Amino acid sequence: MAVIAELKNVSFQFDQDSPKVLNNLSLTLETGSFNILVGPGGSGKSTLCHMFNGRIPHLFNGVLDGEILIEGTSTADVEMKDISCSVGSVFQDPESMFATLSVEDEIAFGPENLLFSREEILESVESLLTLTGINAYRHNLVWNLSGGQIQKLGLAAVLAMKPRLIILDEPTANLDPLATKQVHELILKLKNEGITILLVTRELDDFMASADNILVLEKGSLIASGEPYSLLMKHGLQMEQLGIWLPETVEIGLALIKAGYSLDRIPITVDETLAILNKLELCPEGRTLKGPEKVYSQHGSPLIQAENVRFSYGGGIYAIKGISLDIYPGEMLAIVGRNGAGKSTMARLLIGLNKCKEGTLELFGKNSRHWKVPNLSNHISLVFQNPEHQFLTDSVAQEIEYSLQAQGVYDKDTLEKERNRILTMLNLEQEKDSHPFALSAGNKRRLGVATMLVGDPQVLIVDEPTYGQDKEMTGTLMKLMKEIQSRGIAVVMISHDMRLVEEYADRVVVFSEGQKHFDGIPTELFNKADILERASLQPTLLFQLLKRLEEKKVNCTGHVPGSDAFLQLLLNKGMAS
Amino acid sequence: MAGDFLSFKEKGSVLNRIYPLVKMIWVLLIAVGLFLFKTPFSGGVMFVLILTLSMAGGKISPKEILRSALIVFGLGFLLMIFHFFFDPGEVVWSWYFLTITDYGLIQGPIFFFRLSVIVLSSFLLIWTTDTRDLMTSFIKAGMPYRYAYTIFLAMRFLPLIQKEVDAVQSAHAIRGRASGSGLSHRFKLWQRYVFTILINGIRKAEITADALECRAFGYKKQRTCVKDVTFRKRDLVLPILTLLILAGLIYMEHIRWIDIFGL
Repeated sequence: MAVIAELKNVSFQFDQDSPKVLNNLSLTLETGSFNILVGPGGSGKSTLCHMFNGRIPHLFNGVLDGEILIEGTSTADVEMKDISCSVGSVFQDPESMFATLSVEDEIAFGPENLLFSREEILESVESLLTLTGINAYRHNLVWNLSGGQIQKLGLAAVLAMKPRLIILDEPTANLDPLATKQVHELILKLKNEGITILLVTRELDDFMASADNILVLEKGSLIASGEPYSLLMKHGLQMEQLGIWLPETVEIGLALIKAGYSLDRIPITVDETLAILNKLELCPEGRTLKGPEKVYSQHGSPLIQAENVRFSYGGGIYAIKGISLDIYPGEMLAIVGRNGAGKSTMARLLIGLNKCKEGTLELFGKNSRHWKVPNLSNHISLVFQNPEHQFLTDSVAQEIEYSLQAQGVYDKDTLEKERNRILTMLNLEQEKDSHPFALSAGNKRRLGVATMLVGDPQVLIVDEPTYGQDKEMTGTLMKLMKEIQSRGIAVVMISHDMRLVEEYADRVVVFSEGQKHFDGIPTELFNKADILERASLQPTLLFQLLKRLEEKKVNCTGHVPGSDAFLQLLLNKGMAS
Repeated sequence: MAGDFLSFKEKGSVLNRIYPLVKMIWVLLIAVGLFLFKTPFSGGVMFVLILTLSMAGGKISPKEILRSALIVFGLGFLLMIFHFFFDPGEVVWSWYFLTITDYGLIQGPIFFFRLSVIVLSSFLLIWTTDTRDLMTSFIKAGMPYRYAYTIFLAMRFLPLIQKEVDAVQSAHAIRGRASGSGLSHRFKLWQRYVFTILINGIRKAEITADALECRAFGYKKQRTCVKDVTFRKRDLVLPILTLLILAGLIYMEHIRWIDIFGL
């Protein structure tokens, strides 16, 4: 098969003294192939993407060795605008790449630059609006689009230039499950049209089986690549150890190998997993897999009581339409739902940034209207999705001190003692003199949590706690949330990640179009197909597998919070609590 | 919505249909004319005319005009009061240390109308002109499209900055106050707003610049314009009529109104 892109012994460092971000990398992308690039955080995935679209060497200064060939021509020998004729890139945040004001204009922008004829551009705009499903928004201003629509427009804008290779860097990192599904379907449609794709993603559930080639990057080196099934067989365990997110079905396959079973190949889909379990006779008809019952029990009286709360930002449109919700001490509560379901508005009401005017909202025994934001922040805190927005000083230590001073701690000795205690608790001592903006993504989030924990709040709200993190960092952050919960603090996480909800949440509430549709334990939620559909949520692969087993008269009861727990049940090792 | 404030509104109005570059020249003509006026009468006439034109020719409602221009009218009013009390001239009224001069009474309204009319006509250009069409008309007039696009990109960034400011304000509000006085706290917050917004603004600008390169911006000296704008001779009616009105007003000032005010 013809090769569209090739890297020959490529190494790159951002400056002479810094370590190599990419290290002697050689790879090829075949024409029309669907390639997925995976690797733990900081392994060089985004830097590798910059190699294909010419940002390296043309825009980033640094030391580049080796050769990058696109359709046989070295990227160093041509200008970026020439590379853009063959390679299209959709950035992590496509909103930042928009150059015009309206949807139609945005799609036309690239081909206009490439001097395509007017008729050809108009035809292409029409077909791409249809292909991406954003025809109804063609006259919208780009900043009035939802997250999913922005991603689709980003894709349409790049496709309009008729590239032969498309680079997609985490295109669904911050989308709700429905938008993610729609973008995934669109990517698979492009694959079927024969466009060469390089996709960086941590959401492999929908893609792994369809990929022609998976590239595994670790510390700037390509440690493995190849067709998914043979790659998983050879390197699956290594990928798991690196903290790469793998579908739960793959995790089950790998766990079976670890348990000593011999498999022909690692299952990727639910059907394949089922077939393997049958073949190994692990799930004969009539078998019961009994997990521990998860009964949600409330501790003490509620800290927060919302009764029929309604809220509108104006114009008669309600973001919250009569929600009742109690939050209890020491619970891990997940709030899930689509973008625009009312989750963030609810969080803003709880921390006092918006005032509840309709319905009753009791916060810590007092009506919310009588709370002032600074006073309320001693009781309830919110860690924003982008922690940078919260930082106010020039060092990690000063950030903690600021929060302590806001709590009235001014004595120098107490200030230092408390500051050090919090830094130790969140494992940030090494970074105490670093500028908050210079921290890694994981440490920024830790610092965001640290500044909010200072006043010993009773409730901590975390917006997308593991957004953009690899599996290892997700585990670390969720361990931290568990520790906070064990101190009696109610942790409320707003998340789209159903695996996270399944594994960690005691209780889950589902919001959809400003209303609450479910309030209970996660396992119960996954059994309510109508609610999942209404809220555009998708059950995890593991849950889908359990349902299929049920159809085969294998009864699975109780709480199974993840593939590890399932395997323990399956292999009769008892259930981890 | 941040983007709805002072933005283009396609209402099929007469002003919507006028060639963008002609409207731009029209605004410049008004600005020059306003600086030549020597009496408040001329400014007052222009103020009424532009208001009428906004509503009749641009289909902009009085509510929309007020929402966007109220702050400018307020500033103009303050400017007028400033001239009343601080301009030299013969004192016509005094109370303790406060004095109003005859010259101030004339200059105050002149400055009010000058500011209000220039800003209102600029707003009218924004309300009735698609920025893309303005850019296209610049390109057709011979401006390289790389430069014409800078106007476009500035417009593109405004709502993003507004979003960023909202997010930072909310995040800071819940951090509480560490410094002693409210004033020093506010100062600290403003410092951080500027810092955070600047850092994120630079990041976004870098990404946008890179994205433009990735999307073949500047590939050739020319580019296709899918949505074209066409100049028609009748578009000139607006600037010609305005020129005649301005000339008439200046003429009237010289033969009659200047004497009335004793200038």
